[in-house]
Amino acid sequence: MSTTHSHAPLKESPLTEFEVLELAVRELAIEKGLFSADDHRRFAEWAESRTYTVGSRMVARSWLDPAFKERLLRDGTETSKEVGVDWLQPTGQGTPSDYTYFYVLENTPKLHNVIVCTLCSCYPRPVLGMSPDWYRTPNYRRRMVRWPRQVLAEFGLHLPPDVEVRVHDSNQKSRFMVMPMRPEGTEGWSEDQLAAIVTRDCLIGVALPRADVTASQVPKQPKGRNGGNKR
Amino acid sequence: MSRGGARPYDVLMSALSDVEERTGNDLVCGERTPAPWESAVQATCECLSSAGTLDNLERRQAEDRLGETVYARFPVHTRSALTVAHSLMDREIFTEEELRAKMKEVRARLEAV
Repeated sequence: MSTTHSHAPLKESPLTEFEVLELAVRELAIEKGLFSADDHRRFAEWAESRTYTVGSRMVARSWLDPAFKERLLRDGTETSKEVGVDWLQPTGQGTPSDYTYFYVLENTPKLHNVIVCTLCSCYPRPVLGMSPDWYRTPNYRRRMVRWPRQVLAEFGLHLPPDVEVRVHDSNQKSRFMVMPMRPEGTEGWSEDQLAAIVTRDCLIGVALPRADVTASQVPKQPKGRNGGNKR
Repeated sequence: MSRGGARPYDVLMSALSDVEERTGNDLVCGERTPAPWESAVQATCECLSSAGTLDNLERRQAEDRLGETVYARFPVHTRSALTVAHSLMDREIFTEEELRAKMKEVRARLEAV
């Protein structure tokens, strides 16, 4: 048999005490009848399958339903239940900071919100899923609170000087999500159509939704030097 | 016998040799990538809360309490694992001896070639 490439041999790292402890506790709990192995697998699968689409749905519904929006801004934790997210039962978010209050931050023509966690990587996983790699980097965490406009510009987001940028630092008990403004060109759209343009980065606050951009579509090829993809 | 969270279990303290002891700086945890066992612990937490054995909020509060006292030398990311094991022994779901024996059995199984 021939192959076109070879794989490096799998190097096994030493087994750690915590790997052993985790499995031992789990198996004892199963043996004692507290839950089953399948229960455990299903919770793990459920937690890992959360995505930002819940947050997208919240924003899209808010754009169409002023009463929902009012409830969401007033009490994000409670209103999350209306889209199937209960921050307590189960949390299932794989974070040791999973008991929190959830706040939704509304952007306006004069105010732009963005979220960060300077201490570690707290993130509203029940509504946004796993955080992106860059969100967890010291670079983002350290600089966003000091020079937000500079960091936002690195994401391609240039805000006018008269727009206040407000950075919200997550912590063990407080999680945030940004509610961007509904973009032009979306008049008459359905909730599904609107939800499709509210991407993960819009909900963090490092991007703005656009009527011609959805998260699932392949980005357009840059035009390059000759095409003049000028800002 | 229940310890009421006042003293550490030896079987858990022995795991300290396997991790870097906590310093004043390691609250900055974003540089590290969570290990797979950490996600598995969270799934265990959910199962226990769902079953009514150890409520999530109660466990979170115990993590704060134990993590700053009897297990203060451990890194923050190990708190859930330590707290779940500690709480289940406190509740006499299993004993320290059972856990020690199970860990030995698990280690032998995972290291088998």
